[in-house]
Amino acid sequence: MADYREMWDGLGMDLEKHDMLCEALPNAFGEVYLSQKNRPEGMDYFDFVVAEIHGVRPAELVEHKKKGGKVFGTFCVYVPDEVIFAAGAIATGLCGGSQFWVPGGEKVLPANTCPLIKASVGARLDRTCPFFRLADIYVGETTCDGKKKAWEILNQDVPVYVMDIPQMKREQDIAAWGEEIKLLLNKVEQVTGNKVTPEALAENIKLINRKREALARLYNTRKSSPVPISGRDALLISQIAFYDDPERFSSKTNELCDELEKRIAEKNGVFPAEAPRIMITGTPMAIPNWKLHNIVETCGAAVVVEETCTGVRYFANPVDETGTTLDEQIQTLAERYMKVNCACFTPNQGRIDDILRLVKEYRVDGVIDCNLQFCGLYSTEGYLVQQALQKAGIPVMHLETDYSEQDSEQIRTRVQAFLEMLGD
Amino acid sequence: MEEAEIYDYYILFPNHHEGLHLHKELKKAGVKCSISPTPRAASSFCGISLLLAEEQLDAAKKVIESCGVKIEGIAKIRRK
Repeated sequence: MADYREMWDGLGMDLEKHDMLCEALPNAFGEVYLSQKNRPEGMDYFDFVVAEIHGVRPAELVEHKKKGGKVFGTFCVYVPDEVIFAAGAIATGLCGGSQFWVPGGEKVLPANTCPLIKASVGARLDRTCPFFRLADIYVGETTCDGKKKAWEILNQDVPVYVMDIPQMKREQDIAAWGEEIKLLLNKVEQVTGNKVTPEALAENIKLINRKREALARLYNTRKSSPVPISGRDALLISQIAFYDDPERFSSKTNELCDELEKRIAEKNGVFPAEAPRIMITGTPMAIPNWKLHNIVETCGAAVVVEETCTGVRYFANPVDETGTTLDEQIQTLAERYMKVNCACFTPNQGRIDDILRLVKEYRVDGVIDCNLQFCGLYSTEGYLVQQALQKAGIPVMHLETDYSEQDSEQIRTRVQAFLEMLGD
Repeated sequence: MEEAEIYDYYILFPNHHEGLHLHKELKKAGVKCSISPTPRAASSFCGISLLLAEEQLDAAKKVIESCGVKIEGIAKIRRK
C-alpha cells in the first residue's frame, strides 16, 4: 500500500495518534457510504478522494510548496479563494468535522465551545491532520466569538491572519468588506511575494465560478423526484469541494452530473419517489461529519438540499466576471460574498427568504433546523427560522448535536417521529 | 439461528495509480467493485483498495492476470 508516513513525518505529524484516525475512517466510510444501493458511478472519484484523504492531495500541496508555492488554510465561505489563487497560492479548507480532534481542542478551549472550533484547534495542536500542517498561514474571520478567541490561541503555533466580517449588510458594510478583501490581497502578495494582477484575478474568478456552477448543477439534479443522488453523497461532494483542486473538482462533478441527468430522464432514483424530501438548514458539516444525513437517510427519507455553508451558501451567486481593474473586481467580489446569509449578520432576513424559496424549489416536505452544540448564533436564529416555516405551514424540527455518537439513537428516534408526522 | 458469515474482499495496491488502473479495467470488464479506504484488518497502510463481493472474485482475478496491474494481495475480511 502507499506509504505516506515519510511525508507525514516530514510535516511534523504525530504518527502514532494519526494512525488511530486512519484506523477509524474505513469503517465509518464503509458504513455510511459504501453500504448505499444504486450509487451513481461518478461517485468513484469522490470515494477515491476519501480513500486517499491524507495522501494524494497533501502530496500535491507538498509538491506545490517544494516549488516555492504557498498554502493558505481557511475556515469560512466568506474568505475569497479567488484572491489567494490569483497570487499563485492554494487555498484549502481546514474546518474539522471529527470527534477525534475534539479532545485536543478541549485542552485549550472551554468545553462549551462548538465542536467545529474544538476539532479545528485540536487537529492543529495534536498534529494529526496533514492539511493543518501544510498551511503556511491560516485565514480566520470574525464570524463568532469562539473563532475570534481561537485564532489568538492558534496564532501561538501558526501565523493567523484575520478578516473582519461586518455584522450588518448596509452599503457601508459591503464597502467595508471590499476594504477587507483589499487587505487580504496585500497580505497574500506579501506572503507569496507575487503580485495579484487584474488578469490573474479575472482568471481565478472564472475558476471559482466554474466550481460554483458545477455544484449548482449538482444541486439542480436534486430537485427531481425520484432524486438521482443521496444527500450523503451530495454532502460528501460539497465537503471535498473545500480542499480539492478546483479545476479537477469541477470537471469530476460535471461528469457526475452528466450521469445524474441521464438518471433523471430514466426516472432512476436512489429513493422511491414517495420518500419524504428533507431540507437541512443550519451550521456547516465539515468532513467527516455525515451523522445527521446518515440518520435521516437510513430512516427512509431523502435529504434533497442543505441551506448551510457546506451546501447552497457555498456556491450560490457567481461573482460578476466583467470587472477589468482590481478595484472593480474587489467590488464585485465584495458584493457576491456579502450575499452569503450567515447567522452572524443582523438582521438576517435573507436567510429566511432563502429557506422558504428552497423549500419550493426542492419540493421539500419537512425541514430539519440543526445547529452544532454551543453555536449561539444559529441556535438563537432558529427561533425566527422555525417561526417563518410554521407560518408558511412547513413542518420543521430543531436539533442541536455535536460530532459524538452518544446522541445518535435519540436523534434517530426524533427524526423517525418527525418523518411519521410528515406522512399524516 | 446463526447468521451466515459474509466476507468482503479488498484488493491492495502498492500505490493509487495501480488501484485506479485496475478499477478502470474492472469496470470495462463489467466486474462490480467500489473504491474504498483500506481497512486496518487488511493492511496497516492507509489509502485506496478495491472492495469486491465474493461472487466477483474469480472474474476480478482474471482481469488482474490479463491487464498486468501490480497488486499487493487480496485480503478477505469478515463483514461485521
